[in-house]
Amino acid sequence: MDSKQAGHCPVTGHGQTPLADMTLSNPKIGAQPNAYYQAMRVEDPVHYDEKLGMWLVSRYDDIVTVLRDPLTYSDKHGYAAQYASGFFQEFKAILERDGGGFFPDAIKDDPPAHTRVRRLLDKAFTAHRVATLEPGITAIITRLIEQLADKAANGQVVDGVNDFAIPLTISVICEQLGISQFNSGKIQRWSSAVTAQIGRMQNREQMLDNAAQICDLQNFIIAEMKARETEPREDMISDLVHATLDDGSKLTFAEAVSLIRALIIAGNDTTATAIGNLLFVLATRPEVATALQASVDDERLMNRFVEELLRIEPPVRGLAKMTTREIELGGRLLPKDAHLLVLYASGNDDETQFTCPRNFDLNRSNIGKHVAFGVGVHRCVGASLSRMEIKVAAREVVRRLADIKLAVPVEQIRYQPTVAVRSIERLPLTFTRR
Amino acid sequence: MRGIRVVLIQNDGVARTIDNAAIGVSLMEVGRAEGVDGILGDCGGGCSCATCHVYVDAEWQQRVGPPDDVEIATLDMVSHLQQSNSRLCCQIVLTPELDGLKVTVAPAE
Ligand code: HEM
Ligand code: FES
Repeated sequence: MDSKQAGHCPVTGHGQTPLADMTLSNPKIGAQPNAYYQAMRVEDPVHYDEKLGMWLVSRYDDIVTVLRDPLTYSDKHGYAAQYASGFFQEFKAILERDGGGFFPDAIKDDPPAHTRVRRLLDKAFTAHRVATLEPGITAIITRLIEQLADKAANGQVVDGVNDFAIPLTISVICEQLGISQFNSGKIQRWSSAVTAQIGRMQNREQMLDNAAQICDLQNFIIAEMKARETEPREDMISDLVHATLDDGSKLTFAEAVSLIRALIIAGNDTTATAIGNLLFVLATRPEVATALQASVDDERLMNRFVEELLRIEPPVRGLAKMTTREIELGGRLLPKDAHLLVLYASGNDDETQFTCPRNFDLNRSNIGKHVAFGVGVHRCVGASLSRMEIKVAAREVVRRLADIKLAVPVEQIRYQPTVAVRSIERLPLTFTRR
Repeated sequence: MRGIRVVLIQNDGVARTIDNAAIGVSLMEVGRAEGVDGILGDCGGGCSCATCHVYVDAEWQQRVGPPDDVEIATLDMVSHLQQSNSRLCCQIVLTPELDGLKVTVAPAE
């Protein structure tokens, strides 16, 4: 049924690939995973990836089942088993020695402990609050685009990821947190180092490098917190340092460090990836560029454009959960302590939910049904903020730039070696000013 | 202060009556705390997830009022379920005037 259905779609991007011997930890598959996802959904929806030692959850319905039952499918244990996999004790000792301590992620806990801190973060980026940030975000983005346009006008190739998307998301989150002096390259290295801990593809040498980066990050956070302990400012770090939770308690020091770290890191690579994908899609799919051009003055269509971009190219592809008891999922009996990788990207590609999933279609009636931000109690707290950043970037890029083209053959575009995200490493582009 | 009465009709047809809903909190928080089926409130009232979607009873529509622009944008993400009386109930803050409010929970999908 699926291949027949796909046969009627102008864009399929699927294909029959045998599941045997495939693993998401193979960088080739990780870079072009859709055929693998589809094969899993059809042949073996909860598929054991030997090499990763994880069960890959590939169907939309099963993904939602997992995410809606956080006590059976534990985020805390799934994350802990993924974190610094293979080197955890050594990694932890380094952080304790050089990084002020090992601070487990308070937000990656299970209810009810999760609920306590989550209510605090829920208030940080409501859609209404983010709407008030639009002018400031627009100013950051137009400044960056103008710089790029100058560079391109001089005949230089521009890197859409490292010269644009990454500095953009870093500036936005630093402004929110109240970090006025920052080195964007440094924050990018910190982000990569943290993200690598759930990527499953670092060797020991890389782990040592990454651990050193994370120590640096934590020492930076601790200094920022100390500066606000006696003299609070009007910013989010101060809010977290001084927060009182709904139950009247305060955050512990360790919790506060972990939450600030999460806010710096969780939104950078992810939103930057989405904006890199935006530029990639504009450079490679003329029909999408045309659709965006036609939508640019229509708020509703712009919002839909962002959702469809996140559906078709979700930055976060797979995060871990762990079963806390024996349970049947997708026709498969999983033991207790089964380590799962929830494939948001495959859920968004599921043809039983999204007609012709590889088509970019702004008019989908269920456009918000995608799981790029997850579902349930752990649904992304930064969704509104990242949507705004992507929307403004899309609008200002289309208004100001034309003839966006890849400066290298598409086969040369490489993706970060990690199972957690699908992120373009470098995106050489040429374009002109409109 | 004494609370108000609100009624949420679940998809299974069961009417959940909450007799002492606190003034000043949102209908989503009340529904979620009472475990009303279909009021998930994933984003905690941030108007970004549309998992608190309800249809406001005709006689209450005027007093509840229409959604603002931000809410309209989020409702558009579930346009397949949207009706003229759709609201995201995390944006409905309970006031004494809403005593007796009746809504129907929108289907999940
Ligand atoms: C396009 C950009 C983004 C994508 C695709 C994305 C995706 C996700 C996903 C898939 C989850 C996990 C859901 C689960 O556990 O099932 C998540 C959680 C989270 N995200 Fe995002 N995110 C983005 C941007 C942001 C931003 C800008 C921030 C911060 C300002 C942020 C902060 C967080 C935090 C703190 C969590 C943990 C929430 C929890 O476990 O309760 N994210 N995000
Ligand atoms: S709780 Fe998320 S929109 Fe109402």
